[in-house]
Amino acid sequence: MAPIIGVLAAIGLACGLIIYLVYIKVPQKVKGLEKTEELNAILPGMNCGACGYPGCFAYAQALTADPELITKKPCATVLQDSESLERLEKALGITLDAAAMLKKALIHCNGNSETIYHYSGVDTCKAAAQLLSGYKKCPYACLGLGDCVKVCPENAIFIDPEKNVAIVDTEKCTGCGLCVAECPQNLIELVPAGTKVAFLCNYKPIRDIPGREKCDFGCIHCRKCFKACEYEAIDWNKETALPEFDQEKCTLCLKCIEVCPQNTLADFTKARKEAELVPA
Amino acid sequence: MNELITIFLGLVLINNFVLVRFLGLCPFFGVSKKLGSAVSMGIAVTLVMTLASIATWVIRHYILTPFNIEYMNIIIYILVIATLVQITELFIKRTNLALYNAFGIYLPLITVNCAVLGVTLIEAAENYSLLGSVAAALGGGLGFTLVLAMMSGIREKLEMANSPKAMKGVPIAFLTAMLLGLAFLGFGGII
Repeated sequence: MAPIIGVLAAIGLACGLIIYLVYIKVPQKVKGLEKTEELNAILPGMNCGACGYPGCFAYAQALTADPELITKKPCATVLQDSESLERLEKALGITLDAAAMLKKALIHCNGNSETIYHYSGVDTCKAAAQLLSGYKKCPYACLGLGDCVKVCPENAIFIDPEKNVAIVDTEKCTGCGLCVAECPQNLIELVPAGTKVAFLCNYKPIRDIPGREKCDFGCIHCRKCFKACEYEAIDWNKETALPEFDQEKCTLCLKCIEVCPQNTLADFTKARKEAELVPA
Repeated sequence: MNELITIFLGLVLINNFVLVRFLGLCPFFGVSKKLGSAVSMGIAVTLVMTLASIATWVIRHYILTPFNIEYMNIIIYILVIATLVQITELFIKRTNLALYNAFGIYLPLITVNCAVLGVTLIEAAENYSLLGSVAAALGGGLGFTLVLAMMSGIREKLEMANSPKAMKGVPIAFLTAMLLGLAFLGFGGII
């Protein structure tokens, strides 16, 4: 028995040793790759793929070829971290306006639509959305089965257990946008991180009034928020019959949220956290 | 020589890894959407299979058989294959960057590909010679590449086809795989 164990251990050790030898013997500094290696060291290295490249190394190669690329396809994780962003700016030789580029995911639903039938199928929104656009009364509602939760690399999305709706923890969210493509109801939008008021309804057909027909908390197009705003930060879009928010004029007085009879509006700056909903 | 050709052709067509032995099904569906990536995946698999076959033949011949521990082959082969893939990746990355980019993410993925482990275990079971092992690995890899290329070609065309909504994407790929498998069954009596 002992020699057999010895042989097996020897094979394992030999394999490890060979990898180590190759690692130190093969020339480490590859010509034309120094810049890429330098950039790769700054990047987060978790290979999330949100930038559109297969892994951080491929992204570093693309950045080496074209430093301007970072403005078009930014790495969402680096944008969060001012220290590594500074190093990346220095390495690329350009300056970025991080605040303008930083995005956060916003889920346009407050999840109060009634359940119309009992769904017991596969535990994913994509399957549920195939049957009559989901089991909620509103065909645009968040189904709360958590496809976005599963895809989020930062664990920034969670399901509110009471309302059964997905909620983004804006502090953890890096704005990578992986969840946007995942949602079968197209509820998730990337909004600038400086967004102040969130509009939590996604009902599209203009002839219906979602707040009366589909959901207790949908927009009823009453224009109260538009009238309440003293700073002209809310504009009424007649085409869609929905309010539009000007984040620069908004002073975050929260009057619009107060007057909204349906609670369709919410304060986006208040970080909604798991801890608030689920007491420890 | 005749025997080598038999082994080679046998693994390309008759005992094809994907369609007859059902090994390596994950890349068969995962990497068969585009012809280009399917072919580079196939070439990477062929390369790793050949290297792994040579390495495991040496280990089987000089270590496992003398010590009478052939029953430990799965664990040792996995270790050897993982080491080989690591070394190959390091080597290619630092010597030929263009080749590394062509392989992309597929090379490290192959570490856990069951077709690679499968070919080494089949060689062990059939007790092939060194040349036979190389022929088997090349045949297995070529068969894998062939099936992946065929599948991706068909799937590229199917994207454009007017298939029923419920059948779009993976479901129709499964049906395609079934028909391909039936077609490969026809090679059964050649040798």
